[in-house]
Amino acid sequence: MPITTTRRRLLAGSVATLALPAFARAQGAVKPRLTAISQWSAGSDGAAITALGKKFEEKGGVWQHSPVPGFTTEMMNKLRAQIMAGDPPACSQLKGPEIAAWSKIAPTVDLDALVAAAGYEKVVAPDLAKLHKPGGKWIALPLQIYSTNMLFLSKRAMDKAKADKIPVTWADFNDLAEKMKSGGVPFPVANGGTRPDDGQKFEAALASISPLAYRAAIMNLEKKALEGPEIKAAFAQVRKIADWMDPNVGAQHFSTNLKRFVDGDMGMMIMGGWAQGVLRNAGFKFEDFTIAPGPSDNGKPVFLLNADAFIFWQRKEADLQAGQTLMAQLVMDPAIQTMYSQITGSIPVRTDVDLSGEGWSEGQRTTAKALKDAIASNQAVLSMAHNMAQENGMTAAMIDVITEYVKNKSIKPEQAATRLAEAIEGAR
Amino acid sequence: MSKAAALRPGPPSLPEWVRRLPEYLMIWVPLLLSAAHLVSFSLWTIWISFTPSTLVPVTGWVGLRNYSAVAASRNWQIAFDNLLLFGCAFVVLSAATGLILAILLDQRIRGENVLRSIFLYPLAVSFVVTGTVWSWLLNPGLGIQKLVHDLGWTTFRFDWLIDRDMAIWTIVIAAIWQSSGFAMALFLAGLRSVDADIIKAAQIDGAGPVRIYRRIILPSLWPITITVVVIQLQFAISTFDLVRALTNGGPGIATQLPALVVYDLMFQRSLLGRGAAAAVLMLLILLAVLLPYAAWRYIQRRRAAHA
Repeated sequence: MPITTTRRRLLAGSVATLALPAFARAQGAVKPRLTAISQWSAGSDGAAITALGKKFEEKGGVWQHSPVPGFTTEMMNKLRAQIMAGDPPACSQLKGPEIAAWSKIAPTVDLDALVAAAGYEKVVAPDLAKLHKPGGKWIALPLQIYSTNMLFLSKRAMDKAKADKIPVTWADFNDLAEKMKSGGVPFPVANGGTRPDDGQKFEAALASISPLAYRAAIMNLEKKALEGPEIKAAFAQVRKIADWMDPNVGAQHFSTNLKRFVDGDMGMMIMGGWAQGVLRNAGFKFEDFTIAPGPSDNGKPVFLLNADAFIFWQRKEADLQAGQTLMAQLVMDPAIQTMYSQITGSIPVRTDVDLSGEGWSEGQRTTAKALKDAIASNQAVLSMAHNMAQENGMTAAMIDVITEYVKNKSIKPEQAATRLAEAIEGAR
Repeated sequence: MSKAAALRPGPPSLPEWVRRLPEYLMIWVPLLLSAAHLVSFSLWTIWISFTPSTLVPVTGWVGLRNYSAVAASRNWQIAFDNLLLFGCAFVVLSAATGLILAILLDQRIRGENVLRSIFLYPLAVSFVVTGTVWSWLLNPGLGIQKLVHDLGWTTFRFDWLIDRDMAIWTIVIAAIWQSSGFAMALFLAGLRSVDADIIKAAQIDGAGPVRIYRRIILPSLWPITITVVVIQLQFAISTFDLVRALTNGGPGIATQLPALVVYDLMFQRSLLGRGAAAAVLMLLILLAVLLPYAAWRYIQRRRAAHA
């Protein structure tokens, strides 16, 4: 009897000794955990963030992502509610000037040390970096980049127009559209009818007529630039584009008409790089379409930048803080950015990622090259239609004018320019 | 009366208020809760409308600045004009359609129950579904216009959905389809409650059916007509999901309605103060409809009491 007791005690003692190191480790460094919200729930976006979560778990973290499907604004409503309840997620999707606006309503995490350790600042476009460090400190990290003004050309529509040259300037674009029209393409410009869709037509027109005017008028809201001739010229070009679009699309999403685009019933599409992913997802082949930088009147590529990012909200919990550190390291990692962009069809934020390898498409290489050239010639600007140039309220006021102009052919370009200036004044 | 008192359960020794306690609890608790809920949030919204709130509610005072900004915006002006047009057209046309359907159903026809269910059925469908279905039907490239074109009449045009001036009428059409069944049900009940003896007397006096309707039945439908109009009007003022699914305010901003502007300001533009101001303006429009109705009801009741 006494012997058994001793044995039992011995056994218990040895188990305790074995478990001790693990216990000590758990005390020293907690298991990183991340609560995150984003709108990415389905399709390639959902797949990409799920893959990111897997990587997070591989590094020993606990991944708690709650997607809010729908428009970005719906994700923002959830974020607002959580912040007001004093329980923000450790990390959330947010982009553009909204980062600065939202950082005023709740404390954020200072990421300067992590960014410096990763040497990230050197490899991010300067305009983009500025958006993520309002007040001089990094509080958010860009994840992937899209251009909103890529030009997609339907192979079959090009055949109908007997054309093979990719248009460089708006004059080329307009010529090609005429050729397509007379070659039997009913609608030379493929389109959707949503608000950002109309906004994109305008920003593509203005930025490529004059990137300088775009920067002054749309990004800096300078009164003189808003009254300049470039704005009227841009509206005039938008009218031409609108005349070549199918008015019947109503309020449809651009993706509804991709089949007609591939079939050659619609010829050219001015759309963000994400359309490549959508086209591929819908089962179309790379031979069906060509991707080129959007028209630019001075011949050098103009890049309308749209970048998704994560903002990090201050939390007291040690495991969440560890999770934020791990997440920040992952987001800046070139291998992770490669994985992410290859799933969604975007291009990496890091300008030092090599896109020549397998897994990248010709369209992505073209886009990355366009970005590099545009930065070199100072023609990389921030997209208005996708909330990169201004806060949501200002963007919406501008798009009100643009979408009405696109759909109402009796408005003259001069009138539209005046209304745009007035709307901006009213939204200030 | 004495028989009812004798049948009342419970020992008679309990005081009146204790015996009626369950009734009081049943009625007053939910009533007070919902009133507090409604009133407190209305007051909260009114307060927000005077603050400079944007992303989140903040304290501060900007006076009527939010109101003047909303009233001066093109979106609100268009929304207000649309509300006048939509409100009048929808209320008049849906009441008229409902009345005609009710009169036709009242002719002691076979299959009345089936027809009544069919006409009432759209009410069971959510507005989002109605809006989506009609957005397909009315789309010139997919729906009715394409059907007629495919049948051979190629000059036929029915493109109101993408016509800025006519787009608001597509919302009227869809809304009438949805809710004329409701008006029909109310009118039908009214028609059935007309005293059969009066109608018989009129028939004996040699009045034809048209005359009977004009002189006897329709005049007795007045109170129901008012009810239908008021219920449909408050629906019209708060219309949101139908427009959002059907046109989403488009083409351009041609079919904006006040509820859409409120949502847009609050949740898409993150301008809580202005959104709240627009919401308060909507409340005022509603009151402009409901207060006269309440006054009318009050006068009616007093007249009935004195008569």
